[in-house]
Amino acid sequence: MSEDWAAEWQPLAAAVGRDFSDGTVAFGADAVEPGTIRRYAEPLEIGCAIHYDAAAARAAGHPDIVAPYTATMVYSVAPMWRPGEPTLYDSAERDAQPARSPINNEDMPLGPKTTGFFATDISMEFLRPVTVGERVGRRGRRLISCTPKQTSMGRGAFITWESELVTDGGEVVARVRTGTYAYNPVRPEEEQR
Amino acid sequence: MTHQRSFEDVTVGEELAPVAFPLTVYRLVVAAGGNRDFNSIHHNTAYAQASGAPEMYASTFVLMGMWERLVRDYIGAAGTIRSIKDFRMRKFNLVGSTVEVRGRVRDKRPDGAGGIVTLDVESVVDGQVTVGPGTVEVTVPSASAAG
Repeated sequence: MSEDWAAEWQPLAAAVGRDFSDGTVAFGADAVEPGTIRRYAEPLEIGCAIHYDAAAARAAGHPDIVAPYTATMVYSVAPMWRPGEPTLYDSAERDAQPARSPINNEDMPLGPKTTGFFATDISMEFLRPVTVGERVGRRGRRLISCTPKQTSMGRGAFITWESELVTDGGEVVARVRTGTYAYNPVRPEEEQR
Repeated sequence: MTHQRSFEDVTVGEELAPVAFPLTVYRLVVAAGGNRDFNSIHHNTAYAQASGAPEMYASTFVLMGMWERLVRDYIGAAGTIRSIKDFRMRKFNLVGSTVEVRGRVRDKRPDGAGGIVTLDVESVVDGQVTVGPGTVEVTVPSASAAG
């Protein structure tokens, strides 16, 4: 039935407004460091001295070198692998995916399993930039909206989440609203169904 | 060093100097290493195409960083970014294309030792808007504070 795929999203759509987190802060893999700032800024060729020169950062009113604002969320990304965990690379197939990844849709709390996933939109409010030595974590995972829709990419749902980015000192440094599209590609023979 | 713009320098309606970002495989791989978004859709053609995209494409982190580069070049070291809104990715920013990021001053208002400036920003590929148009709200110091 053509509506079956959309009906599978109803449990998630019915949960709009719920915070799916346990209230704790999930910290990212790396502290804010000059090296990680440099690697973020390098492909973008962001050359402002506050991102690599401590004296310039202090002259601009910061306690030390600061990360680009848009990198704040990067510092909340969990590690791919931790010592003691099973290997991520359990296949030599050319395009095999890691067994686990912090950036995908595998931890969806409700709704159907999907193989496709990408971000669609984002809004961020920054209270301040993060400084070398700090750690950043994500707190809260409130479901703002869930709208099933078939697109040229497949069948899935547009989903918006809201969370805060918090330092290891307990300070909220940013608030984030992230829209995503989680979907399963539709094969041509399924198009008419 | 970036130029330190003062609030008095800011003119409503003025255009920011656009920044062009040619998207090569090499650049996307360097970017993935820097922002840790290793999703294969951003560096693997076959995988991206199996997901329904025409090619590998730039990640959210890369595209947001492009906006920050444009804005930081304008506001200088003493400027701050307060928010990014309506950052909507309308089309894929595919490898082999050049993303041009453009901005224009929508509004300015005094605030403390400087002012708050609202910028309209968008990313464009081959004349089509791929990201935005959205707004970035920034602060810039007054001429006296900017030194």
